[in-house]
Amino acid sequence: MRDRLKKNKAARAAFWILLILIAMAVFGPLMTPYGYREQLTNEAGEYLSNMPPRIPLLKKLGIARGYAVLRDRRAEYLSDTERYPEGSVIRTKNYYQSASGAEYCDVVVDYYVYMGVGEDVNFWLGTDQMGRDLWTRLWRGTRVSLLIAFFAVAADTVIGALYGAVCGYFGGKTDLILMRFCEIVRSIPNVVICSLFIMLLGTGVRTMILALAVRGWTHTAQLVRAQFLRNKTREYVLASRVMGASDARIIFRHILPNSLSPLISGAMMAVPSAIFTEAFLAYIGLGIPAPEPSLGTLLSGAWAALELYPTQTLFPALVISVLLIAFSLFTGGLRDALDPRDPGRA
Amino acid sequence: MLTYILKRLGMMALTLLAIVTLAFFVIRWMPGSPFDDPEYSPELVRILEEKYRLHEPVPVQFFTYLKNLVTEGFWGVSFKLEPMVPVWQVIGERIPVTLGLNLLSLLLSLPLGLLAGMWAALYKSRLPDHLISLFIILFISVPSFVVASALQYFLGYQAKAFPIIYQSLGSFPERLHSLVLPVLALSFYPVASLCRYLRGELLETLSADYLLLARTKGLKKGQVLLRHAFPNSLVPLMPVIIPMFTGILSGSLVVERIFGIPGVGGLVTQSIQAGDHFLTIAVLFFYAAVNLLTVLITDLSYGLIDPRIRLGGGKDA
Repeated sequence: MRDRLKKNKAARAAFWILLILIAMAVFGPLMTPYGYREQLTNEAGEYLSNMPPRIPLLKKLGIARGYAVLRDRRAEYLSDTERYPEGSVIRTKNYYQSASGAEYCDVVVDYYVYMGVGEDVNFWLGTDQMGRDLWTRLWRGTRVSLLIAFFAVAADTVIGALYGAVCGYFGGKTDLILMRFCEIVRSIPNVVICSLFIMLLGTGVRTMILALAVRGWTHTAQLVRAQFLRNKTREYVLASRVMGASDARIIFRHILPNSLSPLISGAMMAVPSAIFTEAFLAYIGLGIPAPEPSLGTLLSGAWAALELYPTQTLFPALVISVLLIAFSLFTGGLRDALDPRDPGRA
Repeated sequence: MLTYILKRLGMMALTLLAIVTLAFFVIRWMPGSPFDDPEYSPELVRILEEKYRLHEPVPVQFFTYLKNLVTEGFWGVSFKLEPMVPVWQVIGERIPVTLGLNLLSLLLSLPLGLLAGMWAALYKSRLPDHLISLFIILFISVPSFVVASALQYFLGYQAKAFPIIYQSLGSFPERLHSLVLPVLALSFYPVASLCRYLRGELLETLSADYLLLARTKGLKKGQVLLRHAFPNSLVPLMPVIIPMFTGILSGSLVVERIFGIPGVGGLVTQSIQAGDHFLTIAVLFFYAAVNLLTVLITDLSYGLIDPRIRLGGGKDA
């Protein structure tokens, strides 16, 4: 199985990308001296909000230099070092006169000099509205999103596997009643369940995990049930029953281990959809509460300032997109490797 | 068949009743009153609660609510967002907007997705197929809100080709023009998933014996695909297309917010955050009902498209 996975180049690349992203989620926030909820100020005590990105290595190439455009400034103040500290004005453009005769222009400034921040201070991805370092927040948010997804899927898998095992193994009336319940839960849309849950328990990381798991388990349950229905009539089950094994032993030691591979690929496929749903809920305003960041709350927070500060949206959008693409490629490869009868769909 | 449909409708009504009950008790048993506001005196809160009959015990309220709902189809009144306006009227104004947006997106995605899928199958393992496969992977994974933000920034803000928000007060062409970006944002995922599905389906059908026969008869590959393979892959396609509607509907929750479209989507959060309880219940009911309906129609479509599939399970079904 491992060989088959190794041969799939896309899945292999996706695996490494995932590893890098997970490593960044663990170590990324430690790479800067700033805390994820720390509102940074300059010496004068002003909040360093919406700082543009500045990366020392890339500065010479002309990107991430920490420049920003200040629009519609009075031209006569340009030489006033109180307003524009020495060396902060890079160039000016778009001169025009207002109705009252005053001259205005757009000023490109080195925003770090403008805000009076030292040469040694660099916000690699800039700062947000509240003056918090976005590099730290981005990776902390990735960590939170990944943790929420992993715990939600773990809960899904455990509950779903037990439920499905009981349905499939015992069959008959038990199966009928339990599966009916499962169908009812499935037929309620995700938005409805999640918003009810969030209303009931208030927003929070734990609520988010529960809200994601409360419908997710039905999928696992159906998957495991199908496996049990297929496996319970096999000879090895009969053999262990003849040897006097209890129901629990047959379920946990014999049939469940034999159903592991679809369970694993099912769980892996549920991770990206949990990440997506978390971000989705954050976007409609039901995300985890501030100041804890997640990819979703970062995106929805930056969206309001999309036109002025596009980089604040760009980086979380890139991370979540790459994460989801990598997950889907990797799980696609994993599924094909675990189930060779069904080679490479799409 | 008729008994089957009736049975399913009955089940659906029961499920919806369960959802309304659950929603009602969850929402009404939440601690605090919707009128908790430091500026309101306790007296005012009491008067407001009595006005909207929120002072009675929750089960009594539920009984009244259910009685009004069943006998008159009355969903209560909104008490925060649009005070004293019947809930159904608040939602009713917005449903056409949301449904219109979703139908437009579906109408756009169907031909695009089908064409792309056929094209990919026709040129299997050649450049168009690889390009389309790349497109599929990208747009199945990249979330709709990222696509929507990108469209808004590049096409709306940078290129100024389309308005960045919905012009609800504009003339009809203006409104249509401002709907282009939201419809596009909603359509990428359905196009990609439809394309992936049809490609897989066609490739499977293309290897069937009767298609080899058609080819040996002298038909071109394109002809075989269009006349023989395509109609046959439509059978399993219907159950894919109909649920796509639910997918677009939930996607439009976010897209409506990003483009400022006054649809039902915005009501979910607005009503929850404002504490407009009856409105929340009705909105959740709307989403659940659409979802259940699409599931039902999907199941029925199996039997309609392929008469070999019998519904209901009985001998005479």
